[in-house]
Amino acid sequence: MEREVIFRIRRFDGEKTYWQDFRFTARKGMTVLEGLYFIKENLDGSLAFRASCRMGVCGSCAVKINGRPRLACETQIFDIGSTLEIEPLDNMPVLKDLIVDMDGFFRKHEAVKPYLIRRDDDYENPKELLQTPEELHAYYDFSLCIKCGACYSACPASATRSDYLGPAAITAAYRFCADSRDEGREDRLNLVSGSDGVWRCHFNAECSEVCPKSIEPAKAVQRMRLMSAIHMIKSIFR
Amino acid sequence: MSESHTRKVLEPFGWIFQMITGLLLFAFVIFHLYITHLTSHDALEYAKVVERLSNPAIKAFYWLFLASASFHAFNGLRAILLDTDFGGRNERAVNAITMLLFVVAVVYGGLLLITF
Ligand code: SF4
Ligand code: FES
Repeated sequence: MEREVIFRIRRFDGEKTYWQDFRFTARKGMTVLEGLYFIKENLDGSLAFRASCRMGVCGSCAVKINGRPRLACETQIFDIGSTLEIEPLDNMPVLKDLIVDMDGFFRKHEAVKPYLIRRDDDYENPKELLQTPEELHAYYDFSLCIKCGACYSACPASATRSDYLGPAAITAAYRFCADSRDEGREDRLNLVSGSDGVWRCHFNAECSEVCPKSIEPAKAVQRMRLMSAIHMIKSIFR
Repeated sequence: MSESHTRKVLEPFGWIFQMITGLLLFAFVIFHLYITHLTSHDALEYAKVVERLSNPAIKAFYWLFLASASFHAFNGLRAILLDTDFGGRNERAVNAITMLLFVVAVVYGGLLLITF
């Protein structure tokens, strides 16, 4: 099956923002990312967008399609309709066309120490860290994040306060705090419990709504919030 | 993102008390409506109000009502301000001013209740 579609793309050339329509014939099975490549190869070579794996793994192709952040490589054109409005993600500065500057997003991610912290790190004599299936399930879902930024783009708290850590970073913090092998919980709780942390969340849960990996960042933020509250109240009595 | 936010207790307490006062207000408003509008037709006359407030239990109830409403309002305002970049930059001032307003409201309202 083939049908003519319109890709209405919000472009930015460094100075001005404008909408541009591209018409072409799409076939059944074509993804939005394939559509973007088709435009770049056949209609306008100057169109800029990010992509790498084309299979929902790298997280680089997230864009807003008809108002909702999605992975272009995992969205079928015909599932959306015949007119697709494609925009760069929100809450991040646009560099060119569909490419946003994700540096701040990654800095926030880095800030919560998203790695296993062990007191007994010894790289010369590595030792095996055992975990039961239950212990694995406590954090497993939250470890599937591909850092695509869709949640951050949809988050109203990230829209009004630019230093809010955001759903992805707090989910990463929770993923490690909930890991039985980790010993860095205290560090991370201190990092996420400032006024730029968990308290800014209003539980709109838009992040969970748009996450392409269905990992429910809103749940992680709420759990992290409860953990922070308990931790901070305990710390008064210490 | 400063690393110095250890032991900022206002945030967790603000969150917990916002929920507690929210629930309390729900019950308080219903009780207030009940005694002022549903018990008798002249419950809002000056003499009736004075009579009601001469009861220390009612006085205590209204003081608690006032304290919950003021906390909920000013802590809510604090959270709204902190949700903005402006609030984030002036965090200490936002915390100090809203909490001061809360204390002033409770003390001033409390004094009015006592003189009644
Ligand atoms: S939590 Fe989901 S939406 Fe957010 S960055 Fe990770 S994969 Fe993307
Ligand atoms: S290109 Fe890697 S997730 Fe879409």
